[in-house]
Amino acid sequence: MQILWSNLIAIYRRELQSYFASPFFYAIAAIFWLLSGFFFVVILLGPDGVIAQVSLRDQAGITEPPIDVPYQFQGIFLNLIGSLSLFLLPMLSMGLYTEERKRGTLELLATSPVTNWVVAMGKLLGVVTFFFTMTLPLLVYEVVAFSASNPPASYQVLLLGHVGLILMAASVLSLGMFISSLTDSTILAAVLTFALTLLLWVTDLIANSLAGPIADALGNFSLIQHYNDLIRGQFNTSSIVLFCSYIVLGILLTAQSIEAFRHQRS
Amino acid sequence: MIEADHLSKTYGSTLAVEDVTFSVEAGEILGFLGPNGAGKTTTMRILAGYLPASRGTARIAGFDVHENSMAVRQNIGYLPESPPLYPDMTVEGFLWFVARLKGVAAGDRASRVAAAIERCNLEEKRDVLIRKLSKGFRQRVGIAQALVHDPPVIILDEPTVGLDPRQIIDVRNLIKSLAGDHTIILSTHILPEVSMTCSRVAIINKGRVVATDSPDHLMAGLRGGQGYEVEIAGDMAAVEPMLQQLPEVRSIEALSESGGDLAEGHRRLRVMTQGDRDPGQAIAATIVGSGVGLYEMRRIRLSLEEVFLELTTQEADADPPMDKAATASDATAAPPEPVAENDTNGTHHSSDQEES
Repeated sequence: MQILWSNLIAIYRRELQSYFASPFFYAIAAIFWLLSGFFFVVILLGPDGVIAQVSLRDQAGITEPPIDVPYQFQGIFLNLIGSLSLFLLPMLSMGLYTEERKRGTLELLATSPVTNWVVAMGKLLGVVTFFFTMTLPLLVYEVVAFSASNPPASYQVLLLGHVGLILMAASVLSLGMFISSLTDSTILAAVLTFALTLLLWVTDLIANSLAGPIADALGNFSLIQHYNDLIRGQFNTSSIVLFCSYIVLGILLTAQSIEAFRHQRS
Repeated sequence: MIEADHLSKTYGSTLAVEDVTFSVEAGEILGFLGPNGAGKTTTMRILAGYLPASRGTARIAGFDVHENSMAVRQNIGYLPESPPLYPDMTVEGFLWFVARLKGVAAGDRASRVAAAIERCNLEEKRDVLIRKLSKGFRQRVGIAQALVHDPPVIILDEPTVGLDPRQIIDVRNLIKSLAGDHTIILSTHILPEVSMTCSRVAIINKGRVVATDSPDHLMAGLRGGQGYEVEIAGDMAAVEPMLQQLPEVRSIEALSESGGDLAEGHRRLRVMTQGDRDPGQAIAATIVGSGVGLYEMRRIRLSLEEVFLELTTQEADADPPMDKAATASDATAAPPEPVAENDTNGTHHSSDQEES
C-alpha cells in the first residue's frame, strides 16, 4: 500500500511538472482564460447579458417572479465553459500515453515495480489537477462578482457547478487517456478524442430531440445532461456515479490497453 | 541469477528468438553478442519482463519474469535500446523520479541519486534539462537510471551506442566496476566490447544462441582457431603435400599477398591446425626437411571477430563443431576468466573498430 502510494505520487508529480513546464499547456490555458473571461463579461455585463435583462424587466415593471442573477448567470456561463472545455480537453489528454510510447519511457514504466492502473491514475490526477488550475480564475471571478449580490448568492450552487465541471472534464480526460494509450500519434489521439466529445454532444442532442425509453437511456449516459443538472444546482447521486464510472472505466481500459500493447507489439 | 530456459518469441509469423537457453551466475557479466536484428533486444525485453515470451521461461533472482513480474521488477535495472528519458526533466529530477518509482526508501533516495550521478560522471549536468544533453550524456543518464536503486541484476541493451571513444572506455570501466556486486547482462554488436568487459559471451544469430563460452575459449576452442603463418622461399608444391600429411594440420592456404613486402620468390602460407597437440615443431621440421627456405613462422589465433563472422555467416557448415565447442566448454565449466586477461586480445582491434 505504501509502495502504491509513493508510486502514485511519483507519477503524479512527474505529470504535474511536465504540464507546468510546458509552453504548449500554458498556451491552452491562455486561450481558455481569454475566452472564459470574454464569456464572463458578455454574459454578465453585455448588452444582452443577465444584468441588462433584469434591468429591462425592472423598467417594464415586471418584478415577479424575482430573478436570481448569480444562479441564472452560472447556468449559462458554466454551460458555455463546458462546451469550450470539450474542445480543449482532447489537447490536454492527447499526449498522456502517446508521448510515453514515442519516447520509449513506457518501457521504463513497464519494467518498474508499478502497476499499470497506478500509472494511469497518477497521470489522470495530474491532468485533472492542471485543468482544475485552469478553472480556478473563473471561480475567483464569480466569487468576486457575486460578493456584491443581494440577496447573497448561494455558494453551494457555485461550488457544485464547479465540481460538476471538474467531474465532467475528468471523465472526458479519462476516456481521452485511454484513446492516447492506443496510438503512437499525438495528433490521432487528439482527433479521436475530439470525435468522442462530439459524439457525446450529439448523443445529448439526440436524447433531447427524441422521446421514449431510448431517449431516456441516452440521456442517462450523456455527460452533458448530467453536467447541466449539476451546474443548475441539482445534486443527484446518479450523476456523480455516472461521472465516476466514466473515470474508472477510462483508467481500467487504459491499464488493459497498455498490457495488451506489451503483449502484441512487434 | 539469470536463467533463460528455451525462450522463444514470435511476432505474428516471424520468429524473433528461438529456443534461447543460457544462465548467468551471480556477479558475472554476460555479453550478448550478435549482428543487428539477431534478437538481442527481444531477449533483453523478455528478461526485463517487458515482453512476454511465446514459449519458455526466464527467471531472475529466482523469480519467474512473467508470473512474478513485480518481484523481478524490483530486482532489475534495465537500460532499453533507446534510453527512456523525459526531456523536460533535469538529470537529478529524473533520477529522483526513477528512485521513487523503483521503490527506494525515502531516506535513501538522496544518497542513491548522488551515488548514481557520481558513478556515471554526471555531476556537471546535474541541473541541466535532459532535452539539452548530447547523446552521450543521455546514454549515461540512461545507465544511471538503471543503477539508481542498486538492483542485483542489471540488463543493458547496447550500453555504449552513441558514445565517443573516451566515453566508451568510461562506460566499460563503469560496467566492470559493477561486476561482483551486480549480475550484468549486456547486449552489443561491438566485438571488442565483449572481450574487454565480459566474463562470458553468448553469441546469437538469427534468433538462436550459437555459442556460449568465455571469450578466450571461444577464440581458442573453435574449429580453425589456431594455426601458423609461415613465409617460405621455394617451391610451394614440394612442401604442401608433406605438410598435409601431418595429422594435426587441417588446412593450408596460400595467402595471396602481392604486397611489396614479400621478397622475390617468397610465399606466405597459413597452416591451420586442429587437435590439442601443437604441431609447431613438426611443421618447422617438415618445411626445413623438404629443402624449402623458412623465413618466418608466426603463431596465429583467430580473433573474436573472425570467430564471430564464422559463427554468424557460415552457420550451416559450421554447425556441428560449434555445438561441440559449446558443450565441451560447458562440461569443463571453466571458471570466469579475470576480465583483465581478456584485454590482450581486445585492445588491438578495439581502436580501429571504434574509429571506423
